[in-house]
Amino acid sequence: MFQNNREGLALALPAAVFTALLFLLPVGILLSEAFKVDGSWSLQGYIDFASKPLNQTVFLRTLKLGALVSVVSAIIGYACAFCIVNLDGRHRGRVFGLVVLPLMISPVARTYAWIVILGRTGIVNDTIISLGLSKTPIRILFTETAVFIGLLQLFLPLMIISLVSAMENLPKDVIPAARVLGANWIQVFTKVILPLTKDGLVIGGTLVFTGSLTAYITPAILGGSKVLMLETLLYQRVNVANDFVSAGVIATVLIVMSFGANILLKRIAAARN
Amino acid sequence: MKYFLATTAALGLIAGAGHAQDRTLTISVYAFGQDAMAEAVFNPFEEVCGCEVVIETGNSVERMAKIEANAANPVIDMAVMSTQDALSLARQDLLQPLDVAQISSHADLYEAAKDPLGNGMAVGYSYYATSIVYRSDLVTVDSWADLLSDDLAGRVALPNITGTQGPLTLMMLSNALGHEGADYAQTIDAIGESGDDIVTFYNRSSELAQLMLQEEVIAAPVGRFAWSRFSGADLPFAWAEPTEGQTGGMNVMVMTKGNGNEELAYQFMDYWLSVEVQTRIAEAKLDSPANTDVVVSDEIAKSLTYGAELINSLTMLDPAAIIDNREAWVERWNENVVN
Repeated sequence: MFQNNREGLALALPAAVFTALLFLLPVGILLSEAFKVDGSWSLQGYIDFASKPLNQTVFLRTLKLGALVSVVSAIIGYACAFCIVNLDGRHRGRVFGLVVLPLMISPVARTYAWIVILGRTGIVNDTIISLGLSKTPIRILFTETAVFIGLLQLFLPLMIISLVSAMENLPKDVIPAARVLGANWIQVFTKVILPLTKDGLVIGGTLVFTGSLTAYITPAILGGSKVLMLETLLYQRVNVANDFVSAGVIATVLIVMSFGANILLKRIAAARN
Repeated sequence: MKYFLATTAALGLIAGAGHAQDRTLTISVYAFGQDAMAEAVFNPFEEVCGCEVVIETGNSVERMAKIEANAANPVIDMAVMSTQDALSLARQDLLQPLDVAQISSHADLYEAAKDPLGNGMAVGYSYYATSIVYRSDLVTVDSWADLLSDDLAGRVALPNITGTQGPLTLMMLSNALGHEGADYAQTIDAIGESGDDIVTFYNRSSELAQLMLQEEVIAAPVGRFAWSRFSGADLPFAWAEPTEGQTGGMNVMVMTKGNGNEELAYQFMDYWLSVEVQTRIAEAKLDSPANTDVVVSDEIAKSLTYGAELINSLTMLDPAAIIDNREAWVERWNENVVN
């Protein structure tokens, strides 16, 4: 595209300098603190972090909820994306618009709405009582269930968008062909749709998983101090204890988990080839 | 010659006026009700001193971190904070003793507010009581131990241990349950055993108010400064007077060491503690006065922690005990309550 590499590099330079100075450098400085104890390099911060039962619980909870939200997002996302790509052009645009719409609303507003919906006098408990499933309201707020619901509604659109994009590139005749050859719908999904849309799943899965790991507002509001996640624990360490070493350790763990998830999903996708 | 002198004098006056306006006082204050505080205290003081008041806010950790980070060349001249935060700064030698001769209202303060940290390191400017707010149509609360009773199971919230109200609640629960020891180990364990019955451990009174107005929670310990959030609501909320009494605390003013702006800082402290300003703050229901000469109506008094009888009856937690034990409390809390 360019006469020589220099032109391309010159054009990329401002963005590269901007990112390096205002993102990589501060993050690098912050994270390097997590490898220091009393000014000298050490992994003691990580050893201390891993040895505390609370940190172990919070780590496993964060991993579990991130994985659960990703899996359920993928299941709902595939069903949704399949419906969307099979709609005619006008309806497809409208339904896709509805999927994208929540992304235009502040996560704070969306999460606060769940406080009302999931509360003792909210619509969920009203429905449960009116259906006779329980005589008294069930406590949902400040439980892992509340955090799961909050994260799912927050990140499901990202999965749907990724899968719609992948499914639009699916050749129109592969599903009818598989059906004609005798495949049932489960076989169609596992042998045809899934392999051909795996790139969308990897992108969507990475977005949802890393988003769930790093979201702060939703776990803070719907989980509170009773359902700590790594990100709410990080905030607590900085703002309550002024403990930047632990915060740096948690930030590093979150970054490693995010990259790890991406690599894992890519490997799983590659293995199917 | 006359023209020259007149011109010189006029220029001198302009320069003097300019110099007065250049005077700046930087204060570190709570973010709570900042617009109302500016109207009641900060803006009128600017007119009195002919200076500019620069306001720094944030949570207590952020505000303390800023004072610590700028110890060699203080940015903040004076600050208001909790007694334990002030003591923590005093122990790090970041504060200077106050010359109370420069605070004309000092003699009018409640005895406990005159020198709450010792060595003249601070003066108290406001009090707050802490008790249990509850739904009077659904339950009665007569004791701090009721917080862990079956009647409130699944409908009670407690303040987080990391906030100001957490240790106060721990102390009163410990008294009510007959537990001994400043480590409150038995009490923390008891809270942990009732963990499933506690809806949440709230961090801000605004968060609690929302949960109580939404009927998610029907009882919780809270500072009196938040009472107006409940007293004006449609639901019947009551302020408990437990048999073990009410607890509470005091907020204090401190001066950073070597800030070089002591004269203006003393003028501001004197202004804030005056009867006129403390009355104005009380009538706006922003803070409860520490000046004994402040008189407010019964209606206003209901929203405040007002009067010698109430203030002297409060069971307060020694700030030194909070600092010395906080790490151990949080450690045990994390292991047995939120884990």
